[in-house]
Amino acid sequence: MDVLVQIVASGLTLGAMYAVSTVGLSLVYGSLNMLNMAHGAILTIGGYAAYAVSQQLGWPAPLGFLAAIVVGALIGLLIFAAAARPLLKSRNFETNVFIATIGVGAVLENVVLKLFGPYAKPQPLNIPGGVRVGAVLIPYQNIAILGVAIAMMAIVALLLQRSRAGRAIRATAQNREAAELMGVHVHGVYAQVLALSGALAAVSGVMISSLATLSPTMGGDPMLKAFIICVVAGLGNTYGAVAAAMVIGLLEAATQYLLGVRFGFALLLLLVIAVLIWRPSGFFGKARIVRL
Amino acid sequence: MSEGRRDLWVGLALLACAGVAPFALGDRYVLTQLTLFFIWGAVVTQWNLVLGIGGIFSLAQMALFACGAYGTAMLGYYLGWPLWLAMPASALLAVAASMLIGLACLRLKGPYVALLTLAIAQVIYLMIINDTDCFTTNEGGCMPLFGGARGIGRFGDLGFREMFGQRFVIANYAVALALLAFAFAFSVIVIRGPLGLAFRALRDNPGYAMSRGISQFRYQLWVFALSAFFTGLAGAVYAAQFKVVGPTIFSFTLLLFLLSMIVVGGVGSVWGPLVGAALLMLADEGFKEFQDWRALGMGLVLPLFVVLLPGGLVGLFKRWRSQKLASDGRPL
Repeated sequence: MDVLVQIVASGLTLGAMYAVSTVGLSLVYGSLNMLNMAHGAILTIGGYAAYAVSQQLGWPAPLGFLAAIVVGALIGLLIFAAAARPLLKSRNFETNVFIATIGVGAVLENVVLKLFGPYAKPQPLNIPGGVRVGAVLIPYQNIAILGVAIAMMAIVALLLQRSRAGRAIRATAQNREAAELMGVHVHGVYAQVLALSGALAAVSGVMISSLATLSPTMGGDPMLKAFIICVVAGLGNTYGAVAAAMVIGLLEAATQYLLGVRFGFALLLLLVIAVLIWRPSGFFGKARIVRL
Repeated sequence: MSEGRRDLWVGLALLACAGVAPFALGDRYVLTQLTLFFIWGAVVTQWNLVLGIGGIFSLAQMALFACGAYGTAMLGYYLGWPLWLAMPASALLAVAASMLIGLACLRLKGPYVALLTLAIAQVIYLMIINDTDCFTTNEGGCMPLFGGARGIGRFGDLGFREMFGQRFVIANYAVALALLAFAFAFSVIVIRGPLGLAFRALRDNPGYAMSRGISQFRYQLWVFALSAFFTGLAGAVYAAQFKVVGPTIFSFTLLLFLLSMIVVGGVGSVWGPLVGAALLMLADEGFKEFQDWRALGMGLVLPLFVVLLPGGLVGLFKRWRSQKLASDGRPL
């Protein structure tokens, strides 16, 4: 019983963190057909922004959190302006933007390395203490992460479903040309999507670093997992991505607990490959019929 | 002169220059760097086949390279195989590994392939560095099956030191040069031959090509598996040259470095990867003083080239030449 509580508690926390970073990636792929390889770097920068504001400047923690969101959104805009926008017209947009964002990610990661040094730092946004369920201590930090993640998801869902901007985003994702003809300013939508995705990545960076530590390379692993989750859910399927993130978080917690940390990721990957052989465009993805 | 024949003559001329070079340049450091250039050159010509010709966005190239390198090291270390035997064997191992990866990934579309291959490489890396169980013990203490974070050393060498004494550097150089020559010749054959033709047909008019019986999956699997042979062999030569194989060959910086070579030279072109490899290695050498900024510069190269010069330097050259020919009023 205690084992189960432990696995569910840490699995939900993991899943919540993955969900926040995955939704951003998925939105960007859904509307631009762009795999943003700089996503991990935004995650890192978000964590460091919170650190810089609340530790180095000594401002209160909520401001640090806000700073992370703002900086993440700005970096998202920067990626749009520097990599996505100039490439939109190119013949192999998907491949080119992938390569370009790999480079942008490396640059951003190095900027962090230059500014903050290579050593791991603790994230100051941390709530001490916890609540006891049976024999298991569940830290308040984990509960807070789950709460923030749910709030974030709710905000994103409201934004997408109820707001004018959200409607424009969905319309562009469905059919870019039709949306353009209806007067949607597509470039503006792309910029918004990347800013939103950057903000979400930054939030998940703060969460992840509050459980582990801050380091310039901390974004790589969560980004890869977020990508895997996207792939399992079907690239561009945002709601599927949230569900897949939770499932994979729980699965990872279970395998880590039962088999050891080493095999968590490897098993995850085997599972993903199995899913993709069974359903090549993801679990929730619809097979796209391409007319030549 | 046909393009294939031009490639042949230019290649032979370069090969002759490279063959004479070690006797003209006595410097050991330069020779070692050139050897490394040959190895990376072999890797990027093969990666270019996969990326630029086959249209497979695979990021597992270094994992296949590692197959060759680790295969050589482990066959030498555990089974005591002579390296001459271990090297081709591990290249075949890389082919087998790429067939497996290909069968799992190539049914999927572009971005899925990129993500899955990257994930596979990363998982192999994590499995190797997180392995702390002792498989055997040697003088250095505990030794995990794949060498763990420290890597594998002392698996023998090609025996050049006994054969040639101080000139063993030249022998290593010659082995790497031979590797590059064969790998490059193979890439030219693929690009100019039937496989390249099939992919051109698939790119220009997929519907027509497929209705004429050209299966994209089958040809992609072919190119993926065949290019793995020389990639693995390059890994084996790397192992023999440096006498130690560690998990650093999975590093993202190295992947970035090699990808930049292809992008700078021109994706999908015959000479692009080699031009890019030569330029980037020279640049790397030139900026040695500024080691800190190396990764930053490498990162900047990718978006700059993709955005401003999508065809790479070879593409620029081709454009310049066709403009010149057109302005001279000669037929292209």
